Amino acid sequence: MPAKQSMNIVEQDQEVRRQIYDVTMREGTPPLAARVADALLIPAGEVVDSFRRLADAHMLVLQAGNGEILMANPFSAVPTPFRVNANGLSCYGNCIWDALGIPAMLQCDAEIDTSCGDCGTSARIAVRGGRLEGEGLMHFAIPARLWWKDIVFN
Amino acid sequence: MLFFRSEEHIDRWCESWHLPRGAVIPLEQGWQLARTWYGEDRRDPSWRRRTLEETEAVFASLGFTSEFWNLR
Repeated sequence: MPAKQSMNIVEQDQEVRRQIYDVTMREGTPPLAARVADALLIPAGEVVDSFRRLADAHMLVLQAGNGEILMANPFSAVPTPFRVNANGLSCYGNCIWDALGIPAMLQCDAEIDTSCGDCGTSARIAVRGGRLEGEGLMHFAIPARLWWKDIVFN
Repeated sequence: MLFFRSEEHIDRWCESWHLPRGAVIPLEQGWQLARTWYGEDRRDPSWRRRTLEETEAVFASLGFTSEFWNLR
């Protein structure tokens, strides 16, 4: 249902977030601001403002310069080395944690195609019936308290 | 967070990037983290980010108790 014009900022940000994840979880890629604006019947500038507030609250990560979404975690808006096939979607996680987060969020089976960060050897990881299939390690380079200081590198 | 084939590959990557070794967990533990972290429906209007205390509780439940995981 389209959002009401009388929404306050908190309600608008909630509706924008809901719309972002509704599209992303169905299609695998976060939407552009214009599409969210069309769906909610509000000006694109207001959606961009909501994107900024959600990013400031660490609920999104935006692309530099244009204000569009880079990450609606666990999903990436751009190709990454963490490709995920899940629920008939071909999409990308932002990192290996987020790649595993996609089947966790969609509650479905998945295949993840990635590669060793050191040597580049390809690897396939699967989730079937809630169980992980595959071997390897995850490395967290930055201490947890500093993750949001450089979330793109992280 | 990157995927690696083995500890040896992590050490080599850290050396080439001139970075100290961070935290390393098996994929299975990463899957448990992902299920806990992303298991909630973010379309729900009542969804919100975890507080610091709630995040600490998630880490503790998965055994992430070293200084690396300290959020304060």
